[in-house]
Amino acid sequence: MTAMLEARGVSKHFGSLVAVRNVSLSVAKGELRAIIGPNGAGKTTFFNLITGFFAPTSGEIVFDGRTVSGLSAEQRVKIGMARTFQITEVFPELSVDENVRIAAEVTAGHALSPWLSALQERGIDHTVSDLIARVGLAGKADRPVGELAHGDQRAVEIAMALALRPRLLLLDEPTAGMGEQETHQIAGLIRRLHREESYTIILVEHDMRVVFHLADRITVLDQGALLADGTPEEIAANRAVQEAYLGKAA
Amino acid sequence: MLQLILFNVFNGLIIGAFYVLLALGLSMILNLSNVINFAHGNFLALGGYLAYVLIPYVGFWPSLLIAPLLTAAIGFIIERTMVRRVYGRDPVYSLLLTFGLAFMIEDACRYIWGVNGLPLTTPSSISQPLSSTFFFITAYRLFMVAIVIVVVAGLFAFLRYSRMGMRIRAGVLDLDTVSALGVNVKLLRSLNFAVGIFLAGLAGVLAGGQIGLNPNMGDSLLLPSFIAIIVGGFGSLTGTLAGGLLIGVTSAITAVFYPSAQQAVVYALMILVLLVRPQGLLGEEGLVI
Amino acid sequence: MSLATAAAAAEALPSAQRRLLATAGVWIILIAAPFWMPLVGGYTDLGTRVIVLGLAAMSLNFLLGYTGMMSFGHAAYFGLGVYGAGLILKDVTASTPLALVAGTLLGGIAGVVFGRLIARTRGVAFAMITIAFQQILYYVAYKWNGVTGGFDGLRGFVRQPIHLGPLVLNIRSNDLVFYYFVLAIFALAVGAMGLILRSPFGRTLLAVRENQRRARFLGIDVNRHVWLSFSVSAFFIAIAGALYALLNNFADPSSMYYVLSGQFVIMAVMGGMRTFWGPLLGAAVFVVLQNYFSSITLNWLFFVGLLFVLVVMFFPRGLLGIFQRRRAA
Repeated sequence: MTAMLEARGVSKHFGSLVAVRNVSLSVAKGELRAIIGPNGAGKTTFFNLITGFFAPTSGEIVFDGRTVSGLSAEQRVKIGMARTFQITEVFPELSVDENVRIAAEVTAGHALSPWLSALQERGIDHTVSDLIARVGLAGKADRPVGELAHGDQRAVEIAMALALRPRLLLLDEPTAGMGEQETHQIAGLIRRLHREESYTIILVEHDMRVVFHLADRITVLDQGALLADGTPEEIAANRAVQEAYLGKAA
Repeated sequence: MLQLILFNVFNGLIIGAFYVLLALGLSMILNLSNVINFAHGNFLALGGYLAYVLIPYVGFWPSLLIAPLLTAAIGFIIERTMVRRVYGRDPVYSLLLTFGLAFMIEDACRYIWGVNGLPLTTPSSISQPLSSTFFFITAYRLFMVAIVIVVVAGLFAFLRYSRMGMRIRAGVLDLDTVSALGVNVKLLRSLNFAVGIFLAGLAGVLAGGQIGLNPNMGDSLLLPSFIAIIVGGFGSLTGTLAGGLLIGVTSAITAVFYPSAQQAVVYALMILVLLVRPQGLLGEEGLVI
Repeated sequence: MSLATAAAAAEALPSAQRRLLATAGVWIILIAAPFWMPLVGGYTDLGTRVIVLGLAAMSLNFLLGYTGMMSFGHAAYFGLGVYGAGLILKDVTASTPLALVAGTLLGGIAGVVFGRLIARTRGVAFAMITIAFQQILYYVAYKWNGVTGGFDGLRGFVRQPIHLGPLVLNIRSNDLVFYYFVLAIFALAVGAMGLILRSPFGRTLLAVRENQRRARFLGIDVNRHVWLSFSVSAFFIAIAGALYALLNNFADPSSMYYVLSGQFVIMAVMGGMRTFWGPLLGAAVFVVLQNYFSSITLNWLFFVGLLFVLVVMFFPRGLLGIFQRRRAA
């Protein structure tokens, strides 16, 4: 299998603080990778390095054979990396349809278009309603997103990410702050995207049930460094991982 | 020639000192509360007029302290009743609010003290030129520069060493955390606003003694103060100080060689800074984008 | 029918129909204005003034309400429109169409150039830098006596009749013809603005307004879109400026002063900055109130200031805001 995303010896310093220290990993095409670690392990920083929110201090990020460390967020989106945020980032006063439509239009190259042909418009209409249905929001297309429940907002965000036709989907704590039922809804959606639509997905997640339920492989960070990397079974049996978590809890 | 150069540089320093006083107050309010106080120049005028009222009763020296304190008290009340309502909202609201306040204060001053300018009498002991060659160096002007230096040093010491000053500095960086630590953020912002207005009121008394009083005397100083903040960099008080001095001295030096470009050079300086360093000389990158 | 019941009735309609109805209503009121205005104590030139300032406020709102960027310096581009049109009529040729084009280009191009620098910043920094650039232009207009007439302004030009083949539009001496001429230009400008806002590009501006971080991670180059929005907005407000020169047959530095920018902003906010027509309504209310206050008291500025404060404190969503869907919590 070829690697979709590779991190090679990536570090990030904030002044004298080393948030991420020499982390390497390789995610295969079609894989669902979870990144976990105790609070302050640097997983969010690491995630932000992959998505281009920060530039790494050293090391490089390679996406599909191409170094992306120097690319801006917009450029990374164009080559096929789409992300969602820990705190839901949507356009709250716009409807579900408009939220997804903006993403679809930008992806189709219409970001600067003053108008669309009827044919182009039909194409966009089709894409938008298809995406909305796929994330389970078919009846809610005209509702302002700000009015929706948390789980539905997250689903909108995922639909927007999918509208970008990504080859890699990056999800930052997709179930953060959600109740039982909403967690279930989003986990189900991610599972479907992975199993049925074969997206390559990297997610950072707190909820261990979600992680062990979904992931093909798990990467564990601790104090900014790579602690372990393996299948869910291997990680569950790993001594160092258990200590890192228990050590924090104690 | 030497006389002319000195004359202009000295004037530049004095004008720069006003910019600094005004811009520091603006900058403090901007940094902690994210509000551009459009009425800042009108608080300056108010300070001057209050001193005009006080001087016959208490004399010049006490007025120099009492008038700015009264101005600050008015600022405090305005912050408590109006300005605080726009915190956290779209910046358009704070701009409109302070813009409206500017009109109101200006017109109120005009109503109470008249359309025509009034003189603010300074003690004769410090109004005489110190030397006949350098006639422009009056004791009053030297004294003004000295006061500004003392006040600015005092302000920086206050922010650096006092408890409240430290809280203000922490609040500029992260207000939520400061609030979580149990600091009364509402009061902190009110006091911070009042300190900013105090500086404007002080500038008003000093400027009144120099150029006289009139209801829109602050207007011509307000916009250069904006530029001082832009040039110095948003979020940095040291930057504002540097920016104010820089534009004061730059325009003064220009005045020696090409007087009609005296104001233009200030704007040219701003454009240059924005081209080369959009976040300003000492501003942090993250604060702009 | 009270405003509230009208709002409730409008709420019940589907949004497309509601929009159509509102648009038709606005145009009927505008086209009929010269006939109903005298009944409420108005006159034709007052209507023309409202249309021109309304276009300015709507142009500003393209940036303010639809892109979420706070410009307090739009009088700069308005004023360039005024001077551009005035200078053509005074010094170049007695052609009204050319004056309009020149004013529009002067203000619009300045918007493109300055916008490039301004669009790199956000929030209050954006607002302050727009003010600073405006002050540069004000200063030039004030000082460049030979061309602009300095403080006294540009005098001695008059709008000229327009020849359309055999047809002559006597906008020079007939108020009514001039009103409809201005209304026609307004219609073209506002129509273009509406189309842009409903286009994919227009939607990216909403995206920038709503959430810049999200917009970036959808692949929208936020700085570029803010710049474009600023430029478009400057072109539109320059049209309003050129019309203003024709209206007054006069140009002076106050048309570039920050006070006028503040007035454009209050018009937009008072009318409703999240609505398309709100700024026009705001302009009408502002013009009427300003006329009223200045006729009853010398201290009208105080009351204008009070109006600003009251709108911010008690009416932040504006007059047309009540017709809108309640914002999500």
